[in-house]
Amino acid sequence: MTAFTGMEFLFRFLPAFLAVYYITPKKFRNTTLLCGSILFYAVGEPYFVLLLAAAVWLNYVFASKVERYRNHHKEKKKSTIWLVIALVIDAGLLTAFKLSGAFLGTGILPLGLSFYTFKMISFQIDVYKGEIKEVPAFQRTAVYFTMFPQLVSGPIMRYNEGIMAANEREYSWEKVEEGLWYFSIGLGTKVLLADRLAILWKDISVIGYESISTPLAWLGAVGYSMELYFDFWGYSLMASGICVMLGMPFILNFDHPYAAKSIGEFWRRWHITLTRFFRDYIYIPLGGSRVGDSRTMRNLLVVWLVTGFWHGGSLNYILWGMVLFVLILVEKMWLWRIFRKVPFLGRCYVLLFIPITWVFFAITDLEQLSIYLGRMFPFAGEGIAVNPGDVVKNLRMYWPYLAGGAVWCVPAVYRFFEKHRKNPVSAVITVLVFWMSVYCLVSMGNNPFAYLKF
Amino acid sequence: MEWIKKCPVFFLLTVSGVIFSIVGIVGSFSMYRGYGFQVLKQPFLVLMMEGIDKGVMPWEACGITIPVWNGENGTAGEYGAGQNIEDLAEADGEDTADGTLVAAVDKAAGIKAADGTMEEGDAQADMQEEALSETAAEEPVTYEFQDVTEDYFNDAVFIGDSRTVGLFEYGGIEERADFFAKISLTIYDVFTEPVAKDEETGEKITVEEALSKKQYGKVYLMLGINELGTGNTDYFMRHYTEAVEKIRQLQPDAVIFVEGIMRVTGEKSGNDPIFNNTNINEKNDAIATLADNRDVFYIDVNEVVCDENGDLIHEYTIDEIHLKAKYYEIWKEFLLKHGIVKEK
Repeated sequence: MTAFTGMEFLFRFLPAFLAVYYITPKKFRNTTLLCGSILFYAVGEPYFVLLLAAAVWLNYVFASKVERYRNHHKEKKKSTIWLVIALVIDAGLLTAFKLSGAFLGTGILPLGLSFYTFKMISFQIDVYKGEIKEVPAFQRTAVYFTMFPQLVSGPIMRYNEGIMAANEREYSWEKVEEGLWYFSIGLGTKVLLADRLAILWKDISVIGYESISTPLAWLGAVGYSMELYFDFWGYSLMASGICVMLGMPFILNFDHPYAAKSIGEFWRRWHITLTRFFRDYIYIPLGGSRVGDSRTMRNLLVVWLVTGFWHGGSLNYILWGMVLFVLILVEKMWLWRIFRKVPFLGRCYVLLFIPITWVFFAITDLEQLSIYLGRMFPFAGEGIAVNPGDVVKNLRMYWPYLAGGAVWCVPAVYRFFEKHRKNPVSAVITVLVFWMSVYCLVSMGNNPFAYLKF
Repeated sequence: MEWIKKCPVFFLLTVSGVIFSIVGIVGSFSMYRGYGFQVLKQPFLVLMMEGIDKGVMPWEACGITIPVWNGENGTAGEYGAGQNIEDLAEADGEDTADGTLVAAVDKAAGIKAADGTMEEGDAQADMQEEALSETAAEEPVTYEFQDVTEDYFNDAVFIGDSRTVGLFEYGGIEERADFFAKISLTIYDVFTEPVAKDEETGEKITVEEALSKKQYGKVYLMLGINELGTGNTDYFMRHYTEAVEKIRQLQPDAVIFVEGIMRVTGEKSGNDPIFNNTNINEKNDAIATLADNRDVFYIDVNEVVCDENGDLIHEYTIDEIHLKAKYYEIWKEFLLKHGIVKEK
């Protein structure tokens, strides 16, 4: 039920929850949201829900301590100590699970842990810095940490961004409509594009990387870049759409990253809430880019190491972070001058190099990774049993999704659609997208081997 | 009206959702019976979607056309008078085995399948070797496997599912042999699916048409994994035998190789209630009985791609079902060691 694309969520939990939420008197709506979220999580993680509850309670206690001492000059130290304790516990929890996954191979990661611990960390720091003026009541804090739209995969909303006081939210048909639009479009982006393109990537792996032609290796990288984007962007649109339906603001998590004119800009447009987290809580506290070249370099390195580690415990993620570190460093040192004069070159740079970085992200086995890269850049030698026609075959099969995906990457297309979402034609298209997605989900769900038809 | 203008998506979604649900509820008493539906977990409109997926259109709720597929709760009348009772019983078995999988397999038109069709357009089918055998009909002469060279495939045709598609793409014999292969092809639709290509017009034609147009020296057949969820072995074998007989009819001089279904890995086999090696072996044992060693021969590639437990070797595959491209060579070598040459 915790997957937004499940039938139980789409047609049972979500409509029922929204109905109950809106029937509840305004001032009790946080209670409804809290109960709904706990229920939502408990169905997916019947044991780790206790961990979540414990983390919420501990963080509330710590935040209260941090707040109590933060304004007294003499006792500021105490505030800092409590902050450090909270951060160590939150980050430690996440690190422990990630490391045990990486080295012990347990593979256990409680649902949404990466996201809710980051919300907790941001909450503690914002309280410490006084950006959260006073620690809210326990219920409101708990709602912020656990609200189901953001619990599993973000966006990592700041406390101040959401309207956490139930009676201050905006409740109207317009908000419901707006949220539903984002939700439907997100669903379509994920199901109709990402899930289809995922099959291309799967097909390539079945062939065996040593046997793919160089053009297919590139097609795979491009397909995977789109898949990853549409999957996460679609998911974020759905999550933010639900928040809007609940009367909260829309949280932007992706801002058409593939239209960026540099890799730095790409990352300011990709998974915005996460990038911002690293910028505000790691990069800037370390001095950011105002501390001279060598320390800027160090700060960047730290940020990208952490980014790599956050995405997964295995080595390829660290490598992926390092590749990005190098690319961004080169860009920051030299290339930016060129890109500023000729933005077109910047765009090409993004579209050429970002798919390569995603290959590092996609393939967790280092040996396989090197084989794949060897097929993309076949300088070291030929592949084995390569069928040169493979790219044509796959293009024939996947061109509608690749072409549709390319169009959907253009900001103007999305913005036009968004602007005219109340136009009858546009509304009909949105509804069609919704039902086509449901149809795909049903026909795939029927076939547990959807990715593998023999 | 004002309200509708304010929230058109909400309005349209709700209205269509209600309509779809009504179709589902109404249909659940008729055309969607036996879909294995869970009221608590799924909305009724899922039934309509499933129906469309299986080619049952919502407007059929009026009760005009009742699909044959709907076997489990169906009455004899639904099958048409022509069919015999035995077929009915089989159709029941088909559903009870696993209703959902029937659909999965039937659905050939999925994104993959749409263009997954493989055919060899202009194989220079060298017919020199064609007049191989005119054996004395009275004396039942049997033949033994022997080593052959690659030109053996010049007048061969391969019929099969995704595994055979893989052989086409990576076996290195696509220049010599013809391939009528497609992802998710089954013994049930092997003659009706347009998986071959007309060598003159380039149009897609069925295997039946293709086999009528051109005579081959060898016909290789590997089908059966997609069928594992559909019906029992008897039902499968009835169709398989029919298919072989039909090939015999259309290709009177060809050597027919019925190939054992390639197994899956031990991991897959242990975790899958349907696609496991126990089921595959059962089918293979049945297929093997078709061999008469005169003009129908059973060959089993599992001999060279499986480990000592009889499971597909782990390193040979990524998805535990298909060989990686570079290992199709093993299959080809195996075929080359299992040629049948009928001297005049």
